Amino acid sequence: MQAGEYIHDHFTKIVVRSQVAIAFTLLLLLPAANFYYPTDYSLKAGIHGVSAMLAIVIGTYLTHRAIPLIKGMHVRLESLRRWVLFASVLNLAGAISGNWIYMRYRGQDGPRDWILAHVPNFHNVLMEFKEFVSLFPFPLMLAAAFTLYYYGMPIQYRRDITRFVGITILVSWSFLLLGFVAGLVLAKLRFV
Amino acid sequence: MENEADNLQTLHSGPVVAASLSLLLAFLTLMVSHHISRLTKGLDNMVHAYGHWIPGSTGSGPDGSIGSYSGKETLALIVWLGSWLIFHQLWRNQDLSLQVWTRFFVVSLIVITLGFFHPLSDPIVLFVAGLFGIH
Repeated sequence: MQAGEYIHDHFTKIVVRSQVAIAFTLLLLLPAANFYYPTDYSLKAGIHGVSAMLAIVIGTYLTHRAIPLIKGMHVRLESLRRWVLFASVLNLAGAISGNWIYMRYRGQDGPRDWILAHVPNFHNVLMEFKEFVSLFPFPLMLAAAFTLYYYGMPIQYRRDITRFVGITILVSWSFLLLGFVAGLVLAKLRFV
Repeated sequence: MENEADNLQTLHSGPVVAASLSLLLAFLTLMVSHHISRLTKGLDNMVHAYGHWIPGSTGSGPDGSIGSYSGKETLALIVWLGSWLIFHQLWRNQDLSLQVWTRFFVVSLIVITLGFFHPLSDPIVLFVAGLFGIH
């Protein structure tokens, strides 16, 4: 199935891009505020927060690129694979910075101790779940990037392969969301 | 299109299956090593030993450490990259059914994800551990 692209007019483009820019800036202020939080771990928390938020934003954008792939439509593969590669790097940054901040989480009088003392299930169920599913998006996104680069442009002749890439991107994003929401809940309970 | 026919012949789905199967195995390794490390202190130390190369894998005090999580990550990395290399070599010229594989892939991911949900997985883990005489 081939479908033409829907072309926005000039005004719609300005509106859409302005909305995205405003939403993106406001969203990014949330984790960026961590840099100014009065704690010895503000740098670690800020880097993890910003990289996680960026990964969420790019991952969400990519879901819109993944759906045409699943539907078997023609997409601009060169731009797509650059975005997927970029998303992989961001997901890796999120995982590495997550390891970094996780040390303090488990540290003496850290969030884990507080959560175990007050609401143990949030550690025993939610954190033990989150620390692993948060590792999933990077390998998934990398597998999608690998596939797009490995096959190159001829991949568009194999709809089954492009469909699988689209599904992998969607799955990667859903794990991003799971980890992100769990992370927000834990940060809400007790900050590092 | 002659060109299209050529391309269809030269593309194989094997590398896609290799890339995605290897990451399933990595996630499975994470799950198994995680549950093993929770059974006894000795098993936790055994898993932890694989991760000592990761900065911050050991230590105490306010700065903390990631503990045996480092070992689980290391084992998963070894399985992921090792199996990817092997499967890629084996299947790079093979065409495997992606329709069947997609279903298996998604269902396996859901099952592995549920395996990290302790209220659901703990009874199964304790039952299996009991079979091996580990309490």
